[in-house]
Amino acid sequence: MSKENKIDTVFKRLRTENKTAFIPFISIGDPDIETSLEIAKTLVKNGADIIELGFPFSDPMADGKVIQKSYERALKRKISMKDAFNFIKKLKTYRDIPVILFTYYNPVFILGEKFAEGAQSAGIDGILAVDLPPEESAELTKYIQDKNIYQIYLLAPTTGNERMKDILSCAKGFVYYVSVTGVTGARKNLPETIRTKVKEIKKISSIPVGVGFGISSKEQAKDIGKSADAVIIGSKIIQFIEDNINDKPAMLRKIAEFSSGIKSSL
Amino acid sequence: MQLPDKKGHFGEYGGRYISETLMPAVIELELFYKKIKNDKEFIKEFNYYLKNYVGRPSPLYFAKRLSDVYKSDIYLKREDLNHTGAHKINNTIGQALLAVKMGKKRIIAETGAGQHGVATATVCALFDLECEVFMGKKDVERQKQNVFRMELLGAKVNPVESGSQTLKDAMNEALRDWITNIKTTYYMIGTVAGPHPYPLIVRDFQSVIGKEVLKQLKKLPDILIACVGGGSNALGLFYPFFKYYQVDMYGVEAGGCGIETGMHAASISGGAPGVLHGNKTYLLQDEFGRIADAHSIAAGLDYPGIGPEHSYFADKKRIIFDSVTDEEAVTAFQKLCRLEGIIPALESSHAVAYLEKIKKEIKGKTVVINLSGRGDKDMHTISDYLASNTLKK
Ligand SMILES: Cc1ncc(COP(=O)(O)O)c(C=O)c1O
Repeated sequence: MSKENKIDTVFKRLRTENKTAFIPFISIGDPDIETSLEIAKTLVKNGADIIELGFPFSDPMADGKVIQKSYERALKRKISMKDAFNFIKKLKTYRDIPVILFTYYNPVFILGEKFAEGAQSAGIDGILAVDLPPEESAELTKYIQDKNIYQIYLLAPTTGNERMKDILSCAKGFVYYVSVTGVTGARKNLPETIRTKVKEIKKISSIPVGVGFGISSKEQAKDIGKSADAVIIGSKIIQFIEDNINDKPAMLRKIAEFSSGIKSSL
Repeated sequence: MQLPDKKGHFGEYGGRYISETLMPAVIELELFYKKIKNDKEFIKEFNYYLKNYVGRPSPLYFAKRLSDVYKSDIYLKREDLNHTGAHKINNTIGQALLAVKMGKKRIIAETGAGQHGVATATVCALFDLECEVFMGKKDVERQKQNVFRMELLGAKVNPVESGSQTLKDAMNEALRDWITNIKTTYYMIGTVAGPHPYPLIVRDFQSVIGKEVLKQLKKLPDILIACVGGGSNALGLFYPFFKYYQVDMYGVEAGGCGIETGMHAASISGGAPGVLHGNKTYLLQDEFGRIADAHSIAAGLDYPGIGPEHSYFADKKRIIFDSVTDEEAVTAFQKLCRLEGIIPALESSHAVAYLEKIKKEIKGKTVVINLSGRGDKDMHTISDYLASNTLKK
């Protein structure tokens, strides 16, 4: 029997504790590999239950300004998928936290089976390819299905009911509900509809629901945490990197404070 | 077999590689288009505007002096004589009618050289639609005149400062806008690329070019030549001829400074399969799958990808792909000016330049070149190029 996927383990545990998972997102290599590893460790130490790591891409079509700039900073040095795998290995020896690789499909596609092998040996638990809807994912599924790596699917405010059912029927680990109609980026106000949408999803499936895109404060996290199983925060954390680019200790301190603040609200 | 298949695939290429937020809109467009494309009223309306507004059919001109040089019968399909000066308007008329019928009031588009931007701004004025065009900041600077044209036509031009600040980044930004304003907005893609059904829609609207050639020539040509950026003018000419196996087709990509220099825009001659902007196709990219910057003197060819149907037919060798350099294109540009009194677009000059490369094969043959646009927009580029080249010599 294969081992249980760590994403499942975390959600099971949190469910018994009646808690919501905190999933922070940062890009690998922003502002450089070493610092981003320290940031990842800081997040793990300060409440992250699962971590989402972005593989920097030249054309991040679904991302807002903050993540675009983060990728641009990371891309100043060429980062290969191998570097990303090494990064994840190092993080995993620090703490065995579930890791989701967040990427656009092309860097994965060109490696094909080699990607899956590398991902498995690095210990990646899930992969979220933003531009790879279920309709096109057969190729990737073929490579990862026997490796205990989940493909994480997205649902959006525009996703209709029938389509939602189809996606949920193949979802594994958790389903990622995109809370706003738009690109990534912190927002002061989030749509009122999030809670009803999460409830709709839960009526169809028992799979955990993570909500992300736009979340930037403890209050929002707390509110969303009432209905969702996970809260995903990216741009707000990455903004701390951008704002403190020349002051690493301050950068890490602010990220630690923010992170533990979020975790305590869930 | 009908291509694309139900999921929008041309063999292994094409498809729909987009974020979930966009999926429902693209499916809606597919269903809507399927319903309307054979609708008599829709076809009548499309043809009405092609005839009375665009000025179709465009002439198929026998280029006598050029033919003498190459000892063959060379015909130019004069898309340069269309309203707005290029083939791009065929597609934007069709898509604007679609958008109106879908009840969309706001149109967005990406543009490189500005030709598709101008064609989009034009139809938006015609059909009273709000229009925003995304254009790389570098292109805004290179193509000031087209920016001004778009603004005169009532469009808002948004310079894109991210990435390489060229066409691919303009397309990224257009997609970001579309994700944000999906409910109200129609995305008017300018070539046979993007997620399904765009490659199909744009091909259908552009194939008026090839259909007219079939009628005008009254016999089958031996050879078709077209330049290829995304591939819409080429597919427009080629598509009605695919079933005639005796007709050879050449797609001419932008070789820039030469494929070996890495500074080019030839996705098939110098790229590899990958996924970008909603489809799987040949792309310029590095070994890590990151998209490379393209280079061509012709801004309209300056894109690191190509439509998926071309990738399919390239593998099948039904279309032969090759490239010509900036220099070869400029030489052909000058040749056409002097021999025929026609100033072609730099993009189209690539197709003309290819005659030189296959001059042995074309002797005694009938050749049709798609003259996809006129060169008015390129005056600055040409004069700068010629000036810097005399300096070098
Ligand atoms: C005159 C002309 N020809 C060709 C192209 C290239 O596009 P495509 O390959 O889609 O025909 C352009 C694009 O701007 C153009 O303006």
